[in-house]
Amino acid sequence: MIDHTVISTEGLSKRFGDRVAVDALTVAVCGGEIVGLLGPNGAGKTTTLRMLAGIIAPSAGRAVVDGRDPASEPEKVHESIGFLTESPGFYERLSAERNLAYFAAFYGGVDAKAAAARELARLGLADRARDKVGTFSKGMKQRLALARVLLHGPRILFLDEPTAGLDPEAARNLRELIVSLREHGCTVLLSTHNLSEAEELSDRIAVFRTRLLAIDTPRALRERQFERRLRVRLADGVAPSLAALREEPYVREARVEEDGVLTVLLADPDSDRPRLVSRIVQAGGQILEVREDERPLEDVYLSLVREEET
Amino acid sequence: MKRRIWNVVRMEWAGMAATPSSLLFLVVIPLILVAQALLLSWIVPRFVNPAILGPTAADASALRLLILRQFPFFVLLIPAMVANVFATLGIVEEKVSRTLEPLLATPVRTWELLVGKILSGAVPGLLVAWVSAALFVAVGHALGWGSQLRLVLTATFFLDVLLLMPAVSLLSFILGVIGSSRARDAKEAQNLAVLVIFPIFALIAVQVTGLVEFTPVRTLLLSLAFFAVDAVLLRGAVRLFGRESIVTRWK
Repeated sequence: MIDHTVISTEGLSKRFGDRVAVDALTVAVCGGEIVGLLGPNGAGKTTTLRMLAGIIAPSAGRAVVDGRDPASEPEKVHESIGFLTESPGFYERLSAERNLAYFAAFYGGVDAKAAAARELARLGLADRARDKVGTFSKGMKQRLALARVLLHGPRILFLDEPTAGLDPEAARNLRELIVSLREHGCTVLLSTHNLSEAEELSDRIAVFRTRLLAIDTPRALRERQFERRLRVRLADGVAPSLAALREEPYVREARVEEDGVLTVLLADPDSDRPRLVSRIVQAGGQILEVREDERPLEDVYLSLVREEET
Repeated sequence: MKRRIWNVVRMEWAGMAATPSSLLFLVVIPLILVAQALLLSWIVPRFVNPAILGPTAADASALRLLILRQFPFFVLLIPAMVANVFATLGIVEEKVSRTLEPLLATPVRTWELLVGKILSGAVPGLLVAWVSAALFVAVGHALGWGSQLRLVLTATFFLDVLLLMPAVSLLSFILGVIGSSRARDAKEAQNLAVLVIFPIFALIAVQVTGLVEFTPVRTLLLSLAFFAVDAVLLRGAVRLFGRESIVTRWK
């Protein structure tokens, strides 16, 4: 589903007085891709989304969203994007359907009432359509905010903390919805502090701290920050195998962890893995499990951010 | 463009309809002002102490005419106050409920939003002021003040109603926008924007003291001056209402 570039930035920067919020961001996002934006508070994620959405103008550099510059043609860009803002603001004294119909009516060619009814049903809020938004829980407001973003069938979504305040079930439903939108060709930029959510949803992850620290697939980011180690669990203890392994030229390091599992660093984790397994078996080891020691994304993220700090 | 402006107007009115206090304000304030003006016109000539008027005092009829002549300026308070309240409600609510950022992510242009809000506040203010003026004239006639009212319903009166009132209504709304842009809540915004009342009181004072006679030409010039002030202030209001200030500074 991933095709041509639909979002690109070149040296995109934003200053507020002396403070640099976003520093020379250059990135390209393909159609149908989900890119997760990670970074500490104040890292510039929301400012970046706001610049891409044409809500604030960059201090330098430029962006192109769906073929248009959001700084010079914000209203045109708004026709093709949906922006879920950090706080799901609504007119609380009015009903959910009135709120949605109001926002839908700003888009050309959209039947506001029908769009409102459709999205309320999609987000499981049809039975509360006529209730005042002031009576909604935080999670319901968040779902309503997502319904608002989808009213005009946008091709590009900017989602700022979409699952904040949602209960686990609602958060899961929302993640499934995001995946299904991607399957229909929607491109998503997702700002989140939830690392497992970012990993589950994103094709690529961008780590920010005012400037872009890294952007790649979760796996590539791991490999970039940490060496790939194999964890081998043996039935009969590791001591004989460990001694034999250390003699092998492709084994760069082998040690026994506190939980008794053997961890091995190979010269080439993919091609050397079968040789390692044969060698352990040859040495009399009984293998119960061999798997890659996958570091959590949190470690990758913290490592990148701390690297930047130092 | 028209569709988006009309959408804003309809939403503002829906918000007002959902806020009974704002509707109450729309009806009660004009009624009080009209009742007050009628009462003054009735009571003062009837019960004034002749000693206060002195030996050259006019008769009761002339005194009533003097009071009736203040009404066109007195009634300016109505669109000023109504537009002001609606402006502050319309904008501070957006600010408090944080609806402006999602709104700015739609294809609506900032000026369309502002024009929609101006129309939604200024039009009811003007309509209520016109209805109040008509009510005042009708009740005045019913009370037998027809001959004096004929002296009031001059070209100046109609210029006042048709030109000065819209100019004042607009001024009030713009000050409401500026006040709301700076304020944290509706109360603070209204406190700032209520400054619009002072020029109107000044007009009333000038009229009462007879310092300036409001001829049609002077009323026309005054209206144009108000419109000019409106234009200058509107530029400031639009700048304060800029997208970037809204999302980064409005807290």
